[in-house]
Amino acid sequence: MNAIILSAIWGVVLMFCSVLIKNKGVYRHIAALGLLVILAGNIHETYHGSFFNIDTHEMLRFSRFGLFFNTILLAATLLYVLLSGRDVEKAGGYVAEYFTLIFFVLCGASILTSFNTLLMLFIGIEILSIPLYILTGSDKRNLRSNEAALKYFLMGAFSTGILLMGIALVYGGTGSFMLEVPRSAIMGGYKGVSFLEVTGLLFLLVAMSFKVSAAPFHFWTPDVYDGAPSVFTSFMATIVKAAAFAAFLKLFEARVGDTSAAVDWKLLLSIIIVSTLLIGNVTAVFQQSVKRMLAYSSIAQAGFMLFAVFSLNDVAKEGLLLYATAYSLATIGVFAVLIKMKDVTFEGFNGLARKNPVLAATTTICLLSLAGIPLTAGFFAKFSMLSAVIKTGTYTWLVVVAVLFAAVSAYYYFRVIQAMYFKEGDAQTEEVTGGFKVLLIAVAALVILFGVQPQALLNWFYF
Amino acid sequence: MSNLVFLVPLFPLLGFLINGLFRKSLSKPMIGVIGCGALLASFVVSAILFGNVAAANRLHPGQPIPATVLFDFINVSSFKIQFAFLADQLSCLFLLIITGIGFLIHLYSTSYMHEEPTEHYGRYFAYLNLFVFSMLLLVLGANYLVMFIGWEGVGLCSYLLIGFWFKNDNYNYAAKKAFVMNRIGDLGFLLAMFWLLAKLGTVDYNQVFAKTALLSKTDITAITLLFFVGAAGKSAQIPLYTWLPDAMAGPTPVSALIHAATMVTAGIYMIARSNVLYSLAECTQHVIAIIGLATALFAATIAIKQNDIKKVLAYSTVSQLGYMFLGLGVGAYTGAVFHVMTHAFFKALLFLGAGSVIHAMHHEQDIRNMGGLKKYLPKTHLTFLLGCLAIAGIPPFSGFFSKDEILAAAYAHSPIYWGIGVATAALTAFYMFRLYATTFLGNFRGTHDQQHHLHESPAAMTIPLMVLALLSVSGGFAGVPEVLGGDHQLHGWLSGVITSEKTHHLEHSTEYLLMGVSVALAVLASVFAISRYSKKPELQEATGLGKVLQNKWYIDELYDAVIVKPLLKLADVLKNVVEKSGIDGIVNGVGKFVHYSSRQLRLLQSGLVGSYILVIVLSIVVLFLVFWNQSIILQFVQKIF
Repeated sequence: MNAIILSAIWGVVLMFCSVLIKNKGVYRHIAALGLLVILAGNIHETYHGSFFNIDTHEMLRFSRFGLFFNTILLAATLLYVLLSGRDVEKAGGYVAEYFTLIFFVLCGASILTSFNTLLMLFIGIEILSIPLYILTGSDKRNLRSNEAALKYFLMGAFSTGILLMGIALVYGGTGSFMLEVPRSAIMGGYKGVSFLEVTGLLFLLVAMSFKVSAAPFHFWTPDVYDGAPSVFTSFMATIVKAAAFAAFLKLFEARVGDTSAAVDWKLLLSIIIVSTLLIGNVTAVFQQSVKRMLAYSSIAQAGFMLFAVFSLNDVAKEGLLLYATAYSLATIGVFAVLIKMKDVTFEGFNGLARKNPVLAATTTICLLSLAGIPLTAGFFAKFSMLSAVIKTGTYTWLVVVAVLFAAVSAYYYFRVIQAMYFKEGDAQTEEVTGGFKVLLIAVAALVILFGVQPQALLNWFYF
Repeated sequence: MSNLVFLVPLFPLLGFLINGLFRKSLSKPMIGVIGCGALLASFVVSAILFGNVAAANRLHPGQPIPATVLFDFINVSSFKIQFAFLADQLSCLFLLIITGIGFLIHLYSTSYMHEEPTEHYGRYFAYLNLFVFSMLLLVLGANYLVMFIGWEGVGLCSYLLIGFWFKNDNYNYAAKKAFVMNRIGDLGFLLAMFWLLAKLGTVDYNQVFAKTALLSKTDITAITLLFFVGAAGKSAQIPLYTWLPDAMAGPTPVSALIHAATMVTAGIYMIARSNVLYSLAECTQHVIAIIGLATALFAATIAIKQNDIKKVLAYSTVSQLGYMFLGLGVGAYTGAVFHVMTHAFFKALLFLGAGSVIHAMHHEQDIRNMGGLKKYLPKTHLTFLLGCLAIAGIPPFSGFFSKDEILAAAYAHSPIYWGIGVATAALTAFYMFRLYATTFLGNFRGTHDQQHHLHESPAAMTIPLMVLALLSVSGGFAGVPEVLGGDHQLHGWLSGVITSEKTHHLEHSTEYLLMGVSVALAVLASVFAISRYSKKPELQEATGLGKVLQNKWYIDELYDAVIVKPLLKLADVLKNVVEKSGIDGIVNGVGKFVHYSSRQLRLLQSGLVGSYILVIVLSIVVLFLVFWNQSIILQFVQKIF
């Protein structure tokens, strides 16, 4: 509750700031301060309850998992603003508004971690998505940015239609919007799973797959991530995607888990997972731009995170927390460096190690984590996802497929490392401050810390 | 005082570190002082330890000397191996031999290696110190694991020193050969150690020997045989002996120290140390005795026809080691250790003497080009002669006593062993005096230039020779047998460690007869050799059997054809066929396939929103169809797999 209300308020505060404060450099400090406040509020709520006492008629329910997920998202956003806040100022002319939109996205994200009815799911997703359409097109004079925003909006609208259709069908089948419906309370006393309900859930599956960019509903991702200003791509690829996954898992845990006795969802999910891993990993191999490669990599990583939805057990929940953290940390780190690069193709990274060893080293650690190399957070994240699948006892071949594709992923991540360390070149970067470097080192240190001690994160979750 | 024990290996280790790290900045005399000083300090501590053990022996006879634990080496739940040193009667004896002879050889080396550039001079002394350090670990360890560390260490140092002049490919080849042969033996050692761990959970000497009752007959036989494989590798026994003659590629003092006096005796030390185990394994003892005897005879026959001064000595070393194994095989552990000691004296002396000759002859090693060196190198000549007398087993020189003890034990075991042993002793006398006569007697056959430069070696080389000559002459008195009126002090000294010595009771008259026969044969062979080779040495190429002997029974060629060549061929197949076309092909193929698929899949991303949405809709339809027909699909899939 704290996170939802405070981030909405802080968004409005920043809106007024744009009128009252003319100095652009101040906004990111206000944003960082706001994130600190919201983070503190969220942590307070985790342990002691909310500041606000509003009756939501059970439409929102704040669970430990959701609140902890909020903490991860907020901390990641704070890191993001600290690392790339300066670059937000360069994206376009309306700096305060960009920050405002980021806070609104966070508001939507906090709804997605706590919704208890399908209506709140819909509202959360819309609050999350609409600011992103704007952010994608924030570079107004850039044709590609405009194209990306338009594509995103069109396809987002399409998926919203599917989402609403799904919600309507589920309502038709069960007579309730609530996430958890006692079977006995279903209209007409029908105890089984009705055709309407299952079809509705299928539509929901498609809509959510679209949001987390799972194949074959991923098409918007490369174009939008590539066209949007890099600084917002970073935000979309990490925090937004993690929030969508939290919602996906929450929805399926309640609804699909409920029907799974009668209906087997695993075949469908495994098809989606395999095609996501295939398209994400294999297409990334041929990319020439690191930015576009990262877009495909985010699809590939989504394939891994889908294992949480596939398994629907405690290991999967823990795994998603770990994965969201590991993936967000590493991706924010890589993007922070990418934004500083003058040339975002692979050639642009040639010889970075000699020119700026700190950037090269931290990027390497982040890339290793994305590839899932041991001693980095990414390894344990992938490990817990796979062990969640093994725990379900079925479809163990999926693990083999996933590991093979993880091996493919090493190819394109290592290409960047190879370019930085083993190729001659003159990598051009913008000015980087000492503080930026320190933060990058901190990110790399966290990646390694969670890679050596994943329990440090999970114990916190369990207290 | 027993805590001093860690100092013994520490000094050489420090010497190795200092000389190794600062070899470029230290001066040659400084390097020499550090190298020799480390050994001298080690020798002094060893002498003190020896005194302590002697005192303890007198105060509490029969009481075992406790081990000194330095730290826990491996400590995992119930599995524990300590890094412990055991300085008892047996290891103290070896300590004195290693550090004492080691010191003399270091001293000798300061002069012998003087022509080397400073950097390599430092490297040489660093290696020598490292070698002594490893050897000391080997004999000081209170369990098989510490012994194994030293065991590997000496193998490594041997490799480094044989290939010391690494610019010569042949020398590198010899170094590799030594290393590989040793590694084959080490495998046996390792397996034996694992076997012990699996059965007893410990490799500590005292615990192992106390728990032998828990081992079955098969276990003991297998363990002792595997340990013997290790010993055969390190101590150059059939079939792993071929590396030792080739090891002569290293500098001569190295041959003296490593390949005659110390490292090669590691196998004998190990078996003497494990005498409790070996006495329980009759089968293994037979194997050891037969292999020892065969090696002794075989190597002696080869030595007869060698013309390289160092090669003769090398084969004589192999042969003498065979004697020691014969002793071990018939249960005369003390005799074997006794022979190790006397052999260390006279073989070091002979090698250093040979080094002195080579030094004087400007790196000429072929005895056919020598002759008449007696008047040019008087000190070398005299000491060399004493060494020859000692190895030939002429009384009262040291070799006589130790060899006689082994032969007597062999006779008690089986007269056939004795017969072959005596024949080998006669051969030994023959080839040693052939070597002596060809080198020192007769007329000089070298070039005029060589003759002009002939000179006696400097004092740093001759003093060690004299000390060693003294030891070779008198060393035998440590073990004068009862029959000659002595009380065999060495026997009493080692009785605390070697508890399973087989005692034999031969009539005194029999013993006199045995001694008489072996001495008479040795004298005859010596005189025959001197009279035959002093006037007209064998200069032409050998023919017939002589040629076979000169070519070492073609064993190297046999190994090459049977083992090395097929292995190389197999490696070639693996490299060119399996690796290049097989594995590389698969790896590259997968890479190419992924790349190709990437290029094709990329085309899906057309950039047109309309087609994206079309694909999405189609996908939804397909998913629907799959979903509602999944039971049919799953049945179909199950039928296929």
